[in-house]
Amino acid sequence: MDNSATLPGIKHIKKETPVGKILGKASLYLILLVGAVIFIFPFFWMISSSLMTLGETIIRKFVPAIPQWVNYKEAWTQANFSKYFINSVLVTLGTLTGLLFTSILAGYAFGRIDFKGKNLLFGIFLATMMIPESVTLIPNYLLIRGTIIPLPGGTWINTYWALTVPFMANAFSIFLLRQFFAQIPKELWDAARIDGCDHLRFLIQVVMPISKAPIMTVLLFGFTGSWNAFQWPLLVTTRDTWRPLMVGLYGFVQEAGPNTHWLMAGAVITIIPILIVYFLTQKQFTQGIATTGLKG
Amino acid sequence: MESSDTIISTKGSNAFKKQAFKDQITGLLFTFPALLIILIFGIFPIGYSIYMSLFNWQVTKGPFIGDKNYLLIFGSWTNFLIILAGIALFVLGFYVWRRAFQTLSNGQRWAHIAGALILILGGVIFVTGWGLMYETGNKDFLNSLIVTVYYALGTVPAEIIIGLVLAYILYQDIIGKQAFRIIYFLPYITPSISTAVVFQIIFSSRETSVANRLIGLFGMDPLKWRFEPKPVLNLLGLDVSGLAGGPSLALLTIIIFGIWSFVGYNTVIFLSGLGNIPKEIYEAAEIDGGSKWDRFWHITIPMISPVTFYLSLIGFIGTFKAFNHLYVMRTPSAQNTVITTSLLVFDRFYKANQYGVATAQAIVLFLVILGLTFAQNKLMGERVFYG
Repeated sequence: MDNSATLPGIKHIKKETPVGKILGKASLYLILLVGAVIFIFPFFWMISSSLMTLGETIIRKFVPAIPQWVNYKEAWTQANFSKYFINSVLVTLGTLTGLLFTSILAGYAFGRIDFKGKNLLFGIFLATMMIPESVTLIPNYLLIRGTIIPLPGGTWINTYWALTVPFMANAFSIFLLRQFFAQIPKELWDAARIDGCDHLRFLIQVVMPISKAPIMTVLLFGFTGSWNAFQWPLLVTTRDTWRPLMVGLYGFVQEAGPNTHWLMAGAVITIIPILIVYFLTQKQFTQGIATTGLKG
Repeated sequence: MESSDTIISTKGSNAFKKQAFKDQITGLLFTFPALLIILIFGIFPIGYSIYMSLFNWQVTKGPFIGDKNYLLIFGSWTNFLIILAGIALFVLGFYVWRRAFQTLSNGQRWAHIAGALILILGGVIFVTGWGLMYETGNKDFLNSLIVTVYYALGTVPAEIIIGLVLAYILYQDIIGKQAFRIIYFLPYITPSISTAVVFQIIFSSRETSVANRLIGLFGMDPLKWRFEPKPVLNLLGLDVSGLAGGPSLALLTIIIFGIWSFVGYNTVIFLSGLGNIPKEIYEAAEIDGGSKWDRFWHITIPMISPVTFYLSLIGFIGTFKAFNHLYVMRTPSAQNTVITTSLLVFDRFYKANQYGVATAQAIVLFLVILGLTFAQNKLMGERVFYG
C-alpha cells in the first residue's frame, strides 16, 4: 500500500489536540477503573462481611467497626473447615502430580514423536473436550461405586482415589503442552540425539527446563480445576472423611442460615490458596497463554 | 547409540528403521498413561451412557425398554422427525440464501426470496414440531433447553464484547496494565462456589441488600432478584409471562454472575490475540488518515476474528455444560426459570434416582451441543479472517 508506513518519524500526521487526547485517555482509565471496581467489589464484600458481627451483617454495614477475627476461628473449628482444607490440599496435590506426569509425556509424544495412530489418538483426545459432564457423570459414578467392574477395596465412594484418579489426565493440558513442545526447534533434538540422548532424557533435561511457562499454565489450570471442583466431590463423598472445601462450603450454606459472617469467613478461607498460587504463577501463566496457541 | 552419520542417512536404511520403530514404541508408551485415564473416565462412559439409556435403570439395572426413555422426552419419534425436518429446511434455506444462483445475473434476488421462503417454512415446521413435543413429551426437559439457551445468549455475547473492549483499552499505553489484568482475571480463577455465595448475599431479596440499594439510587423499588420467577420484560412493564417471555430476573442474576466470572478470561485471551496483530497495519492506516474508530472497526475486528470465534465456541459449549454456580444460586421460588438442562439431568439422577431417564436426557443434551457447535462453525467459521 505504501512504504512510508515502516519509516519511523512520519507517524502521527494527524495530531490530536492535547486536550482531546487527555480527555480520551481519562475516559479509558475511567472505564478500566469502573471495571476493576466491579470485579473487586464482591471480594471486598466477602472479606468485609467475614470480619463483622452477626448484627453488622444483618443491617448490612459496609465495613465492620471492629474486625472480628474470631469468625475465622469459628469457621475453621466449628464448621470443620480445617478438615475440608486438608482434604482439598491433599486431593489437589495428588491430582496435579498425576496430571503433570500424564500430560507432559503425552504432550511430548504428540508434539515431537512420529508414530502410527498419533493423529487419530490426538483427535479422540480433543473430542473429549466437547462432551458435557452430564453424559459421563452417571457411568463414572457407577464405575467409582464398583458397580460396573470390581474395584480394589469394593467401592471407591468416600475414598481419596475417587477424587483424584479420574482427573489425572485431560485433553486440554495435553493440547496446551503439545502446542508448545511442537515449536521447539528440531535442531535441538538432532544435536541431543548425536550425543546419544533418547526421548525421555531429552524431555527431562532439555524440553522441561525451557517449558516452564506452559507447565506453570497447566499447573494453574489444574490447580483451580481440582480446588474448585464441586459436582463430582458432591457425588462421591457422603461423609467428611475426604470431603473437600467446596462441598463443605456448600453444606455450610445450607446449614449456616443467617450466620453470614461465618459463611463469608469460610468463603475467604477457600479462596486464599488460589490467590497465593495465582500471584506466584501469574507471570509464567501470561506467557504460557501467549505462547501456547491458546489464543486460538 | 547411533553415530553421527547414521542420523543423516537416507530413508530405508537400517538405522532409520530402528529409529522409526523406537519412535513408535516410545510414542505409544508416552501416551499410554493419559490414554488409560481418558479411555476409562472420558470415552467408555459415553458408550455406557447410551447403553444405560436403553434400560429402565433406577439405581440398579432394570429391564431393557429400548427407546422408551427417549420417547419420554420427545413424546413420539414423529415429533422428533418433524423437528429434524424443520432444522434441515432451515439449513437448506440458509444455503440457498448464501450460495445458489450466484452465477446467474439477477439470481441473487431470487436466491434471497427462495432462501427466505425455505427459512420461514423451516421455522414454521420447527415450531410445530416443538409444540407437538411440548404436548406429549417432557415439558421440564424442553423448558430446561429454553433456559439454557437464554443463559447462553445472555452471557456469551456480553462476555465477548466486554472482554474485547477491556482488552483493547488495556492494549493501549496504560499505566498499571499488569494490575488491571490481574484484577480482571481474579473472578475466573476463584472458586465459583465461593463467589456465588457472595453474589447470593449481594443479590438477596432484602431491602438492604447491595443490589437493592444500588437500584434504589435510581429510584427503583427493591426487587426479589434470585427469588423472582417473573420475566425481566414483565418487570419492565411488558405484558408477558412464563418462559416464553424471556429470561426471569432470577436467571438474569445468574447471568450477571456468569458474565462477571468469565469476562476476565476473554480479556486475557483477547489481549494476547491483539499482541499478534502486526503494528505496521495500524501505522499504515494512521498515515492514510483512519480515525481510531476506523482502525478498531476495520483492522482490529477482522484481525481478531479467529480469537472471537474460538472464545464464542468455548463460551457456548461452556454455558451448556455449566453447573456449579447454577446449582448454588438457584432457589426453589425461582421455579423452573433457572433450571438448565445440566441441572435437570443432575436432579433426575441424584434426587430422583432415575438413571436411565437421566442418561437419555444427557445424550440429547450432548447432541444439541454438537448441533449448535456445528452450526456455529458453519455460520461464523466462514466469516473468520485468518490473516
